[in-house]
Amino acid sequence: MSFVKCCFESSEGHDFLDSFVQKCTDPGCCCGCCSALRPRYKRLVDNIFPASPQDGLVKSNMEKLTFYSLSSPEKLDRIGEYLFQKASRDIYRRRHGFVIIAMEAMDQLLLACHSQTLNLFVESFLKMVQKLLESTDPQLQILATQSFVRFANIEEDTPSYHRRYDFFVSKFSAMCHSNHSDKSTRDNIRLAGIQGLQGVIRKTVSDDLVENIWEAQHMDKIVPSLLYNMQTAEKYETVSCMETDTRDGFEEDPPRLAEACLRELVGRAAFGHIRSVLRPVLTHFDRHELWVPNDFAVHTFKIIMFSIQAQYSYSVVEALMQHLDVGAPGNVDARARTRVRAARAAVLSNIVAIAAGDSVGPSVLEIINNLLTNLRASVARDSEKESDERLYQEALINALGEFADHLPDFQKIDIMMFIVSKIPSQRGKSTKADAMLQSILLKSLLKVGTTYKTTELSKAFPAAFLDALLRLSSAGEPATRALLQRILHTLLDRRGNATVLVTPTVEYAELGLIVEKCSRPDLIFISKHGYAIFSSLYDGLQLESNVAENVSAIYTTLALLCVELSSEETVCDMLQLILSIQHSAISNPVLSTAQQCQLHAITAALAALVPHVLLLPRLQEYINQIIEARREEAPHMLPPLQESYEHLSPSKMPNKMPYLMIDQMALGDCLKAHGIEASRLQSASPYSGGANLAHRHSWVEAGAAQGRDSLADISAGPNAELVDSANSSPGVQRHPLQLENVSLEALRRAASGPSEAEKREAERRKVTLNNAFRTAPFDHLLHLTQPKYEIKDKLEEIFNSLSEEPLLAGAGVLAGGGSPGAKCHSQQLPAYTKYFPELFLY
Amino acid sequence: MEDYKFLFKVVLVGNAGVGKTCLVRRFTQGLFPPGQGATIGVDFMIKTVEVDGEKVKLQIWDTAGQERFRSITQSYYRSAHALILVYDISCQPTFDCLPDWLREIEEYANNKVLRILVGNKTDREDREIPRHIGEDFAQRHGMYFLETSAKEAENVERLFMEIAVELMEQAKCKELPKYDGSLGPINGKTSSVGDGSCCLR
Repeated sequence: MSFVKCCFESSEGHDFLDSFVQKCTDPGCCCGCCSALRPRYKRLVDNIFPASPQDGLVKSNMEKLTFYSLSSPEKLDRIGEYLFQKASRDIYRRRHGFVIIAMEAMDQLLLACHSQTLNLFVESFLKMVQKLLESTDPQLQILATQSFVRFANIEEDTPSYHRRYDFFVSKFSAMCHSNHSDKSTRDNIRLAGIQGLQGVIRKTVSDDLVENIWEAQHMDKIVPSLLYNMQTAEKYETVSCMETDTRDGFEEDPPRLAEACLRELVGRAAFGHIRSVLRPVLTHFDRHELWVPNDFAVHTFKIIMFSIQAQYSYSVVEALMQHLDVGAPGNVDARARTRVRAARAAVLSNIVAIAAGDSVGPSVLEIINNLLTNLRASVARDSEKESDERLYQEALINALGEFADHLPDFQKIDIMMFIVSKIPSQRGKSTKADAMLQSILLKSLLKVGTTYKTTELSKAFPAAFLDALLRLSSAGEPATRALLQRILHTLLDRRGNATVLVTPTVEYAELGLIVEKCSRPDLIFISKHGYAIFSSLYDGLQLESNVAENVSAIYTTLALLCVELSSEETVCDMLQLILSIQHSAISNPVLSTAQQCQLHAITAALAALVPHVLLLPRLQEYINQIIEARREEAPHMLPPLQESYEHLSPSKMPNKMPYLMIDQMALGDCLKAHGIEASRLQSASPYSGGANLAHRHSWVEAGAAQGRDSLADISAGPNAELVDSANSSPGVQRHPLQLENVSLEALRRAASGPSEAEKREAERRKVTLNNAFRTAPFDHLLHLTQPKYEIKDKLEEIFNSLSEEPLLAGAGVLAGGGSPGAKCHSQQLPAYTKYFPELFLY
Repeated sequence: MEDYKFLFKVVLVGNAGVGKTCLVRRFTQGLFPPGQGATIGVDFMIKTVEVDGEKVKLQIWDTAGQERFRSITQSYYRSAHALILVYDISCQPTFDCLPDWLREIEEYANNKVLRILVGNKTDREDREIPRHIGEDFAQRHGMYFLETSAKEAENVERLFMEIAVELMEQAKCKELPKYDGSLGPINGKTSSVGDGSCCLR
């Protein structure tokens, strides 16, 4: 060195030689022995080094070098090469002070240079960085990383196709796993490693032309390195997406920086790259056995969910779901596997909500379907004794609920319909696994149902959905039936009354029920489906296997129906049902004494609820008399329900005390006193008969009933009595002509000729009847074909858009016809949207 | 000083505790660290050797033997020119695992990779695997075989030198898969430049 220096000094003033030397491109010719012939750039470079490394970079000479390289950028590559060679020698001789100075000089040149000319210099620069990284000295490694990060933050405008980052990824990943004996050194090396990885990511991710960082060979190193550092954190605080902008990368501890880096990586991942990030994540969790306990897994996956581009978030869910069942290599213990599976499902339930907000269309059903498939697989494994399997199922159901919770309401209904369609029918030979699956799917349904906020009953219960639910209400297992009732509760209850109506009572005054007038669409709904619902509930009460829970659950359903649909128009149906239940309690031979008493008790409870809700004092008075009488003579015929009534003496048997029964005639009188048409009460009870036949009303009947009811709806208009009379003879196909009822509106309508609405109504009636007859012969097909809801949705959409336009026009035409016509229109709308899709359902 | 003709990547694999790190340390630093802790993830060392008057740079990636780091270590197999599979001659289980390791190498490494089987710890008295068993195994699977002792520095130098020689021969026959020149991140030209500085030595 001293030789070089002295030569160098003596060469001052020989600048005129430079032009000569520079023409000489072959490096071999410039023999250093003649210092005068040394190129100028070499002298400039040599000048920046002080005599002793402690003195640091010679600032003024560094400025000269910078100026020189700016004015003649074509020299940059040689400057770089020369600096690199000098530094290599210094590393070899362990003169680290000079190495640091050389690196500093390179950094400064890098920052000072224009990007066009940088490309040539960068190669030497990176060689230098690599050289430093190859040394065993932590200090040099850290220094090199810092330089690399500085380089990574420079935006180059020309891509360099030939540059490879292979070594850097490998080395930085190795640094992330540093095992240096000194803790602070170790942390510093790890930090440097993470920063380096961050730099590589930044450098490569934005440019498609340079190395593809998303390739497995890189991701398999980067991702585990980050995770390994993250998992060493003492506690995991998951912060949401807001605080992800710690982009400067100068965090103090490795776990935090690793987390920031992971966020950045995930945030930059395009759709095609997500899998390549997730796969190493999942493998890492398997290898390091980080699923149980799953704190860290939850933490990591939340971070991923928070930082991933929102539209891709469902693919994380998808990947995790597919991984649910994947066994860790070398792990054959079945119990451990189940535990891992449960833990994964728990992670899933933690993140699924984050995905729900951004999921659209088929991906939603995809996720649900996947969850259900996993549930089914779990049931098929059938390990009841294993509580872990239970935990797994619970976690999956939770995930389902979490997911549904964050979806808009209309999708919830879709999902519920979807789940219902997956429930095995109870008609076939019901195996134990089937029953279990049934109950698990119902649990899922309940979970989804509780997240749904019912506004209109007709929206909450599309016909196909309601039908499926009612069909299930006669399932074999009492617990399953109770579950189903709970689903009905959660869907029916709009005003938070379900909790107070859980157990039967006769004292409603202090319960503080919230009762509102029944809305018109609800009334239409109940007049359409009321018979089906009531008869299914009635049938549900006639089952031999009922326990008190079933009875009280059905009571709650009925009570909720009564509260939600409180209307003078429905009171007769309700009372009729109550009378039927009372009758069955006496006459049904399969019922035990306990069941009979329970039925009487809920009869009394319901009978007391009706006048309370509708404010019918006369009726209330009558019911109170009966309750008082029962309270004195037969308290077992009042709530609360008991599991057994063994102490009962034969004389106290309910059928021995006809005078304690609710009397049909008396009820009729009370209603009449309140001005309510009660003739229907007198007619024969539609519910009696073959009590246990679940599908007593065939499809033809149901279809016809719908046709008839909708007829009644329209023709009745605001006139309630016609609805009642139409409903009063179920099972009988009546043909009430629309103009039969000579009301003011009817006359007006007749005068204005067949309106738009009526024409359409006629059309629709035709279609509905057609449908009814068409479905009948294909009854058996219903079992074979599954409802295709997507098609249904599409059709619904189309019909909505179709029906809206003419509606507007029709309203215009009818404006002259007066308001009643328009009213008909508005009532028609829900019916319209409901009927057509049904046509295409099966 | 810096110029070298070839750069080869050597990866060491094998069960935990067979002495991979000690072999590397012995070779690169000439020392035997007693009480060497388990490697985490991957460690990296470099050593330049001379073969037939030509400089050969060996990039040595020393992987962790522990099962849990298997996924990250596997990712290093791919770019390796030579894989050293190490077992402990005084520990039967480390030998029994060899087929598993071979399967992994088969799956993740380049199929032309040079494979060397090394039985380490020959200094130990309690040998469990006789030399010929190891030799047989190596022969059956087309591997080179060597027994070493990192502690006594026995055969360690020879191991790496033979690898360098073999790889160089391969490279000269152009059999070696090209990993974009001899310098990792930089294009291949650089291996032949730099001679101009000879005068400064």
